[in-house]
Amino acid sequence: MNTRISFSWQLLLTLLAAALLVLAAACGGDDDDDDGGDDGGATPTEDGGATVEPIDISGVPELADGMLTVGSDIAYPPIEYYEEGTQNATGLDIDLMNALAEALGVDVEYKQVADFAGIVGDLTAKRYDVVMSAISITEERQAEIDFVPYFGPAGTGVLVQAGNPEGITKIEDLCGKAVGAQVGTIQVDYMNEFNKGQCKDNPIDIKEYPDNPTSVQELGLGRIAAQLSDDPVAAYSALQSDGEIEVAVTGFDSAPYGIGVRKDSPELKAALEAALAAIRDSGVYDQVLADWGQEDLAYQD
Amino acid sequence: MTLALEFDFGVVREYMFNDVILDGVWTTIQIAVLAQLIGVVLGVLFALMRVSGNRALGFAAGFYVWFFRGTPALLQLMILYLGIPRMFDNQTLTTELTAFRAAVIAFGVNEGAYMTEIMRAGILSVEGGQMDAGKSLGMTQLQAMRRIILPQAMRVVVPPTGNEFIALLKNSSVAFAIGLVELLGAANLIYSVNFNVMELLVVAGIWYLAITTVFSIAQAEIERLLAVSDRERPLTLVSRVLDLMAARRPL
Repeated sequence: MNTRISFSWQLLLTLLAAALLVLAAACGGDDDDDDGGDDGGATPTEDGGATVEPIDISGVPELADGMLTVGSDIAYPPIEYYEEGTQNATGLDIDLMNALAEALGVDVEYKQVADFAGIVGDLTAKRYDVVMSAISITEERQAEIDFVPYFGPAGTGVLVQAGNPEGITKIEDLCGKAVGAQVGTIQVDYMNEFNKGQCKDNPIDIKEYPDNPTSVQELGLGRIAAQLSDDPVAAYSALQSDGEIEVAVTGFDSAPYGIGVRKDSPELKAALEAALAAIRDSGVYDQVLADWGQEDLAYQD
Repeated sequence: MTLALEFDFGVVREYMFNDVILDGVWTTIQIAVLAQLIGVVLGVLFALMRVSGNRALGFAAGFYVWFFRGTPALLQLMILYLGIPRMFDNQTLTTELTAFRAAVIAFGVNEGAYMTEIMRAGILSVEGGQMDAGKSLGMTQLQAMRRIILPQAMRVVVPPTGNEFIALLKNSSVAFAIGLVELLGAANLIYSVNFNVMELLVVAGIWYLAITTVFSIAQAEIERLLAVSDRERPLTLVSRVLDLMAARRPL
C-alpha cells in the first residue's frame, strides 16, 4: 500500500516537473519571439537619413537605455499591422517611428496593447515610453497625456456593403441605422455627437467592437449598415475585401494623429519633435508617406 | 518617491447604477441562465446516451464531450458567430443570429459538454442495484431512470452545477470579443471614453460578486430542498433566519 502511494506521489511530482519545464520552455520561446520581433521592427528605414544631424538625447531618461518602447494596437492596417503570417509590425506609423528612432539613435520595441480603449491609461501607468496607434488628438485625451502631432488630419471614412444597398451618401443617412466602429475611437465620439445633433430624433444604433477588423467583418456579413474608421484604414479595408465592401463617404470631421507622451516627459516630447522636424527636412517623412501612397496624410497645422 | 493613489470613489458611485452597466448586468445574467438551461438539458440527454449501453449513442455523446470540452468556448463562439455565417452566406441566418443569441447557443452547447460529465457522475453515484429493483417492479429502463435514478442523482449534481453556473456567469465576459456588451464590455465602453479604468473595473467586479452571491444563496436553498436526511441538509441563509425566528417565538 505504502509503495503504491509513494509511487503515485512520484508520478504527480514528475508530471508537475514536466509541466514546469513546458512552462519555462514556453516563456523562453516568448522571449525569443520578442527578440525576433524587435529585430524586424527596429530595422531602420534606409531612405537616405544618413545626412541627419544627431539629436542630443542625453537629457531624456526614457532613452537612457537606448530603447524606445512603443505601445500600439497593431490591428489597424495600413497604419499599423502585423505582416501577414508574421510577428513583424509594419505600416505607416511603424515606418515613421523607425525613422524617428533612427534620427534619435535608439532602437524601437513595439508592444501590442491589451486594448485600444485603454491605451491612454497604459501610457500614464508607464507601461510604454510612448504610444503610437493612429491616435486622433482629442480634448479628452489631451487632458490625460501630451501629443506630438505627426500625421493628418485624417478624415473618417464610411464603409458600406458593395453597391451601397442602404444608399448612404452623407452623414445624416447613418441616423437610425446600426453602425459599427472600434471601441474608444474618435468615430464613436462622432456618433455620440450625431446622436445629440443631426440624429437626435432617430439615433444611430452604435455597435462597438474591441478591434477594427471584427467590425469590418460584421459589415461584410451585413449585420451592420455601415462601419466607420479613419479614411486610409477604410480605403485599405475596402481594397482587401475583394469587392465585398466599399467606401461610401470620406473626409468628414477629423483630427491629426499624435504620438502620445506622458505629461511628465517633456524631454522625450522635445526629442521626438526635434526628430520629426529632422526627418521632415531630410525628406524621409515624405518618403514614408509615398511608400504607402498616403501623401495626403502629411501633417498640416 | 511618493506613493500617489488615484482612485475616485465618486466615479464608482456614479456608474454603479448607470444604464449601460445595468444593461450589461442584465445581459450577463440572461446569457448565464439561458446557457445553463441549455447545458442542463443537453447534459441529461448526452449523459443518458453515454450510460445507455448503446455503442452508437455512447460514441456520439463521447464525441460531443471531446469536441466541446477540448476547444475554447470563445473559439466555438467565434466559429458560430463569424465563421458559419460566412460559410452559408444566407442573409436571414446572419441577421437572425445576433451576438446575444450566438452567445447563448455557444455557451449553452459548451456548457452541455461539462454538464454531460456531471450528470453521468450523478447517475453513476446511484447504486446499480436500484435499476434492477426498478426493473423487477416492471418498469422499463427509461422509467426506472426517470423515477428512481435521476431524482437521486440530482442531489449529487447540484453542487457542481452551481460551480458551472457561476463559472458561466463570469466567463460570459469573453463575448465582448464579438461586440456583445455584457457587464465587462459595458465597463470597457465607459472607460474608453472617461479613462477611469480602475474605477469601472471595480464597478464590474462589485456587480459580479453581487450576482454570484445571490446565486450561491439560491444554490444552497436548492440543496436544502433536495436533501433527503437532516445529516446532509445544509444550513442556509433562509433556514438560519427561520431558526432564529422560531427561537424567539414565545412558548
